[in-house]
Amino acid sequence: MSYKAEADGADIPDEMKRTLSLHEKLYNSAAARKLFLLIFLAIAWQLYSMRVDNPLMFPSLVDTMAGFVEVVRSGELPLRALASLRVIVVAYAGGVILAGLLTVFAITTRPGTDLLEILTSMFNPLPAIALLPLALLWFGLGYPSIIFVIVHAVSWPVALNIYTGFMGVSSTLRMVGRNYGLSGFAFVFRILVPAAFPHILTGLKIGWAFSWRTLIAAELVFGVSSGSGGLGWFIYEKKNQLDINLVFAGLLTVIIIGVLVEGVVFKFIEERTVVRWGMKF
Amino acid sequence: MADNVPSCAGAFLEVRNLTLQYKTDRYLVTATRDVSFDVGESDRLVLLGPSGCGKSTLLKAIGGFLKPAGGSIALNGRPIKAPGADRGIVFQEFDQLLPWKTARENIVFAIRQTRNASREEAVEEAQALLEKVSLARVGDSYPHALSGGMKQRVAIARCLAIKSKIILMDEPFASLDALTRQKMQEELLYLWTETKFTLVFVTHSIDEAITLGTRIIVLSPHPGRVVDEFSVDWTRGPEEYGESASLKERITQILFRDIDYVI
Ligand SMILES: Nc1ncnc2c1ncn2[C@@H]1O[C@H](COP(=O)(O)OP(=O)(O)O)[C@@H](O)[C@H]1O
Ligand SMILES: [Mg+2]
Repeated sequence: MSYKAEADGADIPDEMKRTLSLHEKLYNSAAARKLFLLIFLAIAWQLYSMRVDNPLMFPSLVDTMAGFVEVVRSGELPLRALASLRVIVVAYAGGVILAGLLTVFAITTRPGTDLLEILTSMFNPLPAIALLPLALLWFGLGYPSIIFVIVHAVSWPVALNIYTGFMGVSSTLRMVGRNYGLSGFAFVFRILVPAAFPHILTGLKIGWAFSWRTLIAAELVFGVSSGSGGLGWFIYEKKNQLDINLVFAGLLTVIIIGVLVEGVVFKFIEERTVVRWGMKF
Repeated sequence: MADNVPSCAGAFLEVRNLTLQYKTDRYLVTATRDVSFDVGESDRLVLLGPSGCGKSTLLKAIGGFLKPAGGSIALNGRPIKAPGADRGIVFQEFDQLLPWKTARENIVFAIRQTRNASREEAVEEAQALLEKVSLARVGDSYPHALSGGMKQRVAIARCLAIKSKIILMDEPFASLDALTRQKMQEELLYLWTETKFTLVFVTHSIDEAITLGTRIIVLSPHPGRVVDEFSVDWTRGPEEYGESASLKERITQILFRDIDYVI
């Protein structure tokens, strides 16, 4: 059975179908297969670190986990993670809203289209972190600077994807919407946004990945003044104190949060939307 | 059966000397030239012509999606300026259902956007319409899980749901298998007997035109022009069935007269 089913099978009479058995479902489940691989990688890490036998250069999985539990218990790591998350939520939301406004302006007016095309082609290739020195000059040492670079990291890829999605909406669906007398914002939100949702979701995912990376990178650069830095600052600090297993624990936290958002939050949205609609590409 | 029926005065839909053009980057394409016809209330008018003769373009212009380069279109005496729900449309394309809504929600959405109906009323009405096109069972399925014929049936139900007096259909059965197509044609005729909506139906099939139309307008290829017009006598009995065969022959001759290439 290699053919990918496109229908949910609900309309097929019972004589034509049977329920899959547990091991068939397990094998079909990407999550189960990935979990297996993850366990394999963890074992490989432990074995390799035992061979290297140098906790300063390459701490073992067990040391890392022990350190991880310790800083989670002491509340240090959750506090740092929370600090990072608080910043990113604000900055990500800001970037997405800015991107949305730009795109709506772009599809409704000709100058808007030109503006968006010029801005995205200029700023999309520019790594956001390159703006940090300038941001520090303008906004000083602190979170406004980081928020500025993250908004920059999010806006352009998200705007570009929403715009691509809007432009790709079939003329038939547009005609259906206009046939019902929809125009302006009603047309955008009831026809264009859902029809372009696969692209919008892709944009949101890329935007998330960019912003998360940018945040950690920016925090590595400073945090110097404020004692309450985020995860990036935690990693930097622990490296200076030569607690390398805690550096690993910090990196692990960055990965876990990234994977959780990608694999749980976005996955949830995806299952409920584009997958259900048969629009996933 | 009378040829070239004179147009009745003050027809429901009046198309006068309509010329439709597309501007591409390099060319100005004329899709139809100087097309005139009238559609009376409760007529089932068929626009018949070979592929590329501008049938879809004509329907899109009546739908209000395309500004005439010349001539005029008037519905109920008022010129058509923009799209609107006073004209129900079934498009040629299979992707006309909103893929993010179930079959039922597609119909509910159409009702709620175009008429003053509560959600409960709309849902109830949608269910009744789904039953009418024998799709009650798949109301909760999303369009991607439906076959081509099912999608077109939902599109027809959705189009009936907005209760417009005129319905425009663009080759809705063109890509269906012969059996399904015949069933859908029968279904459409049955639905028509219920509310007697005015129908403008586009097709390139002579058989389909004769099966469905009370009047047939034959268009010439590229650019589309009206070459002839027929009325189909629906009061005839089965013993006169031979007439429809001769009608088919005459239309075939007219269509081929205008085609200066060999198929
Ligand atoms: N969007 C468009 N841009 C340019 N030319 C078009 C467009 N749509 C249709 N045409 C041209 O107009 C002519 C009529 O097309 P159409 O109305 O789709 O024909 P039909 O529906 O009768 O097959 C064709 O020659 C086609 O190539
Ligand atoms: Mg066509």
